[in-house]
Amino acid sequence: MLLFSYLLLGGITTGALYALVAIGLVVVNKSTGIINFAQGELFMFCGFLAWMTHVQFGLAYPLAFIAATVGGFLLGIVTDRLAFRALAKTDIVGLVLATVGLAFVLRGTARMIWGGKGDYLSFPPITSPEPVMIGDIMVVPQQMAALAGAIAIMLVFAAFFRFTRIGKIMRATADNAKAATLVGISIQNVYTLAFGAGAAIAGAAAVLAAPLTLLYPDMGFSFFIKGFAAAVLGGLTSLSGAVVGGLLVGVIESMAGGYIDSSMMEVAPFLLIMLVLIICPTGLLSLHKTRDV
Amino acid sequence: MLDIQHLRVVYGITEVLRDVTFDVPQGSIVALLGGNGSGKTTMLNTLTGMVKPAAGSIRFEGIECAGLPAKGFVQRGIVQVPQGREVWPSMSVHENLELGAVTRKDWPGIRSDMEEMFEIFPKLKPHQRKRAGALSGGEQQMVAIGRALMARPKCLLMDEPSAGLAPAIVSDMVDTILALNRRGLTILLVEQNIGVAAAVAEYAHILQNGEIAFSGAAAGLVDNPAVLGAYLGR
Ligand SMILES: Nc1ncnc2c1ncn2[C@@H]1O[C@H](COP(=O)(O)OP(=O)(O)O)[C@@H](O)[C@H]1O
Ligand SMILES: [Mg+2]
Repeated sequence: MLLFSYLLLGGITTGALYALVAIGLVVVNKSTGIINFAQGELFMFCGFLAWMTHVQFGLAYPLAFIAATVGGFLLGIVTDRLAFRALAKTDIVGLVLATVGLAFVLRGTARMIWGGKGDYLSFPPITSPEPVMIGDIMVVPQQMAALAGAIAIMLVFAAFFRFTRIGKIMRATADNAKAATLVGISIQNVYTLAFGAGAAIAGAAAVLAAPLTLLYPDMGFSFFIKGFAAAVLGGLTSLSGAVVGGLLVGVIESMAGGYIDSSMMEVAPFLLIMLVLIICPTGLLSLHKTRDV
Repeated sequence: MLDIQHLRVVYGITEVLRDVTFDVPQGSIVALLGGNGSGKTTMLNTLTGMVKPAAGSIRFEGIECAGLPAKGFVQRGIVQVPQGREVWPSMSVHENLELGAVTRKDWPGIRSDMEEMFEIFPKLKPHQRKRAGALSGGEQQMVAIGRALMARPKCLLMDEPSAGLAPAIVSDMVDTILALNRRGLTILLVEQNIGVAAAVAEYAHILQNGEIAFSGAAAGLVDNPAVLGAYLGR
């Protein structure tokens, strides 16, 4: 029971972080039809921005959060304007390749700025790193903080899409871009905004993940792959699907690592995905129609 | 009010509109007819900034609008109800209508216009929170018209609003078009259904081979064999 609860809570926490990465992928894919292969590198880059704010400049953790999310948002907007918009007239493959290029640029830049300070940088914990026993269940406060943060961000995101005019504009563009143009929505601006929002949520995920992991310039790919897996499980265009997918990937990875072998951690989620895609190719939530947030 | 002169539209090397000239007087209902593929939808798309003309002029209230982006047309008061309705299927009826006013910022005005939409289309009121994609074709057409009206247009361009609707619903649609016109809205109506066009429009223009092949009173259309021949593309 002790091991199970430990693995479950740990899995849910990393799963919630994967879900945030997946939400960023879905937000971009829903409005633009592009898979942003730089999502993991945006995550990494924003993690370093947070590290710089918090550790190097000694500013408070909430400021590091703002630096990473605002920094991510600006990074998303700038790359869309500089790199993606110029390619908007080419086919979708060109755009997807541009995101791969962006991933390498971000990784190289991170190596230049933050490399050579020891391979791995650690981010100080924001709560006590000691596990706490609540009855039979072992709880790691740092994990709970990250989980609570992830849930809060998801709720804010859901509210943004449901209640704000800009959120509705983004949904309308994803639903039918031609109709959006007809009522006077500037589609290009929505695409820019989608890249900004996707990168901002990657930044938020990075700040929450930073105290739980080590920062290094190559860390992005593994988070991208897990987030991508989560997004695929959820059907690639569903925000609630991305959350369910993220939690599943996190929990299965954690259980496989704890009960089978640590080498299974990387493999198990993909076995699950293959299984899911064979049974319902359009994602888990397509089995019973759910409403998107 | 809407003055179209020598308009030419090409897709790549295909010339769809060669040289089109006609006007839509303020307060009128004008029908634009033509066979399948004669360029009616292209015409409306050009008149709303969705397609850029290769040559010619589009004057609205005396101001040149050719080359404006779609948003510019909406802001000047020309709004299209597209062929096939094109509602946002996963969004609610309420949200569909609300976003029709996306170019406006007068929040109290938007709110009172929302109320008004449910007075014009009382059938939509109980469905406000439903996904627009779950409505019937006739109801979706009401959502599409309501969404366009939410922009407070001066001139409404409607692309085959009666297509695919049951006869009883078509007659409701005719009433709606006449009622909107009575409130002062200028309407350019594209129709396949000549009966509908003749019932509502004062003037009609027929597009053929990229030009206006016939112009005249809409009432005489139904029993003018030359017109019907042109219309059917023979
Ligand atoms: N986006 C486009 N690209 C190329 N050709 C098009 C496009 N849209 C329409 N066409 C062509 O232009 C012609 C007119 O189409 P359209 O304006 O839809 O006619 P209508 O509405 O009268 O049926 C057709 O031959 C059609 O194939
Ligand atoms: Mg058409």
